[in-house]
Amino acid sequence: MRRYVLRRVAAMLLTLLFVSLLVFMVVRVLPGDPALIMLGIEASPDSVAKLREGLGLNRPVPVQYAEWAGRAVLGDLGRSIQYDVPVAGLIVSRLSVTLPLTLMAAALMVAAAIPLGVFAATRHRRWGDYAAMTLSQLGIAVPGFWAGLLLILLFSVKLGWFQAGGFDGWGRGVGHALKSLLLPAVALGLFQFAVLARTTRSALLEVLREEYVKTARAKGVAERAVIFRHALKNAMIPILTVAGVQLGQLMAGSIILESVFYLPGLGRLALGAISARDLPVVQGVVLFVASAIVVINAAVDMLYGVLDPRIRYE
Amino acid sequence: MTMLRGLALTLLALLFAAAPAAAQGALTVQVTTEPPGLDLTTNPSSAIATVVFYNVQEGLVKVDRHGKLVPWLAERWYTTDSRNYTFFLRKGVRFHNGREMKAADVKFALDRAVNPETKHPYRVQYENIQDVIVKDDYTISVTLKRVEANFLWTVARQGSVIYPREAVDSLKAQPVGTGPFTVADWARGDRIVLVKNKDYWQKGLPRLDKVTYRFIPDPNSALAALKSGDIDVSAFGLGPENVDALKKDGRFQVILGDTTNDVTLSMNNSKKPYSDKRVRLAITHAINKEEVLKGAMFGYGKILGSNVDPLNPYYVDVSKREPYDPAKAKKLLDDAGYPNGFEATFKVAPQYYYTVRSAEVVVNQLAKVGIRAKIQQIEWGQWLAQVFCLKPCENPDYDMSIIGHAEAWDIGNFANPKYYFRWDNADFQALFKESEVTVDDKKRRELYVKMQQMLADEAPAVWLYMHPRLVVTKKGVTGIWKDLPIPSLDLSEVGWQK
Repeated sequence: MRRYVLRRVAAMLLTLLFVSLLVFMVVRVLPGDPALIMLGIEASPDSVAKLREGLGLNRPVPVQYAEWAGRAVLGDLGRSIQYDVPVAGLIVSRLSVTLPLTLMAAALMVAAAIPLGVFAATRHRRWGDYAAMTLSQLGIAVPGFWAGLLLILLFSVKLGWFQAGGFDGWGRGVGHALKSLLLPAVALGLFQFAVLARTTRSALLEVLREEYVKTARAKGVAERAVIFRHALKNAMIPILTVAGVQLGQLMAGSIILESVFYLPGLGRLALGAISARDLPVVQGVVLFVASAIVVINAAVDMLYGVLDPRIRYE
Repeated sequence: MTMLRGLALTLLALLFAAAPAAAQGALTVQVTTEPPGLDLTTNPSSAIATVVFYNVQEGLVKVDRHGKLVPWLAERWYTTDSRNYTFFLRKGVRFHNGREMKAADVKFALDRAVNPETKHPYRVQYENIQDVIVKDDYTISVTLKRVEANFLWTVARQGSVIYPREAVDSLKAQPVGTGPFTVADWARGDRIVLVKNKDYWQKGLPRLDKVTYRFIPDPNSALAALKSGDIDVSAFGLGPENVDALKKDGRFQVILGDTTNDVTLSMNNSKKPYSDKRVRLAITHAINKEEVLKGAMFGYGKILGSNVDPLNPYYVDVSKREPYDPAKAKKLLDDAGYPNGFEATFKVAPQYYYTVRSAEVVVNQLAKVGIRAKIQQIEWGQWLAQVFCLKPCENPDYDMSIIGHAEAWDIGNFANPKYYFRWDNADFQALFKESEVTVDDKKRRELYVKMQQMLADEAPAVWLYMHPRLVVTKKGVTGIWKDLPIPSLDLSEVGWQK
């Protein structure tokens, strides 16, 4: 097990290095001189040159990368050009929205998708199965931002139960904060919920055909126990794989929903930073999100090892 | 299971706990863009003016809601020759840090605007200042290099706000001034909160205790927020397509007014075929502006014939001088050697919704006289680099574009051959120069009328329409400006009806 974990961690670090290089290069390729955009239309060429110097944009690219990556490892992602505050602080404050939003969406997704998948699989080719699959088809077809708008129209504009958007922070109580994240979390998790329900259904159907399930049934184990104790546990690997990938997708998908619900999260930070050519922030956010996804994937990999001992000896 | 159910119920109860009712002295305003910093003296962004100008910081002279110059931090001034101005400051005006405003602060602010080291965004406007002399604590005189008829306008602009010397380094995050509100909190990406300045020098103002600016970029979200009661005022966020429905909704009031924002179809006058006056006139005659206004703006706004907007005191309507006439447009194209028309590209930035909408209508109309134009949407940074030709750009790279020119008194752009229109006309430049040094109001008006007529006839650009001011508020909000003669969202007199 230890060798397996070490190998996974090494692979993860290598990926992170590659990701950081990619982020750095891609951001360099973005058109538009940040110094010029910061100073505005009346700036003299002189002050633009001075600012470029100050931002370190004139030095060789490898030197810039080495410095940036070196400091990033220590948690220093530079200062925002636009806001004039440390990037790391901005990311942390935005995470207090995006992270609970993503986790809430993930929790809702898992809590709804797995029971629905089990429900469908145990009613294979009966009306319950068809109804559940139609429902999930709908979830796949409806884009999240549109679902978000519909939810706002119904629950905020018509019924007035929820605010139409925005996040007042955690200062006004956990309940208030969770309430303002509920609609966006539902809209965000909808698509992933549908995919996960389908995955659960097919994974479970696969396992239910296996010999040991038949054996368990023949031995007189109650149907409930057969499904939850024997079958579902073994169906968890494909479900977990999909769910792990989805967690990353949820994080990325939150960019659009943060705009619809005007939540001050990471996604909107990135969007705003791109249009303002706030290079340190763009680099910081992209690096952070990419790293988070790499780490999640590595964690899922290691979980496989726990769930299925065969995997770690491959 | 019972425990789980109990937990779920508690959670539900928490979720639906009533939000505290909004106080009558509080107002939540939606704006589309978050300001890039809060310093009016280093960044020209109008998103900054929307929050800071007149609310947090003020100048010697104010542009009031009707577009008139009125005494403000200077209670009066005099000039005999429009070259030497003396300002008498109001006594007892305190900055937010408690210190009284004195003439030395005014000198500091003006000197800083003139200084090329300080990145002032409109430094050109201050270049004419030769000397600023403090006579005593409440008297200051400004000497100009040459006569400037519009100098009081310069002093009234957002770049001329007065702030205390000791706070100059914190302007970007914590602007200090003399205004009716102070900045209490800026949750970046989400909101800016202003609170009442209890020591405001104008007695009885402001009427609100607290103002919250929320940044909601998406127009659908802004509309939903308004309808669900999350915001009280939508200042710039809603498109004209919502106006009719909102007018009928008894919960809201719709304020429609004039602005100085002239939506202009620019042409690259340095490039063929736009260097040919006949081609430019042909394009002018090919465009049915009524239809553009209807198609792009649902009819809200006003048709323009030149760069001068209806809020300008010298405005005359020249929109009928070169009217819609496709037959004439075809003939002009024939004369210019383009009997079969030509190909063209519109470069527009979708960041401003009206640009793409207007271009779509215009492209259709141009096709009817044989000009085959296509629309290319480019991102704002690219627009600034390619079309607007930000330094170090040598020559603008575009055929035609559409953008709103929001500045008041900006006819001088057409007297500047380096501006991205690249229109170089000596007669017009002479007229403009004369208007700058003509102090007599009647003579100056004549010059402005001449300039407007000349712009219409020479067609260096096509002035499509004035972008309307559109504000939607909850019923009961009073005191909001109808027109927008200067970029600001002055909230000092805004309040709730009792």
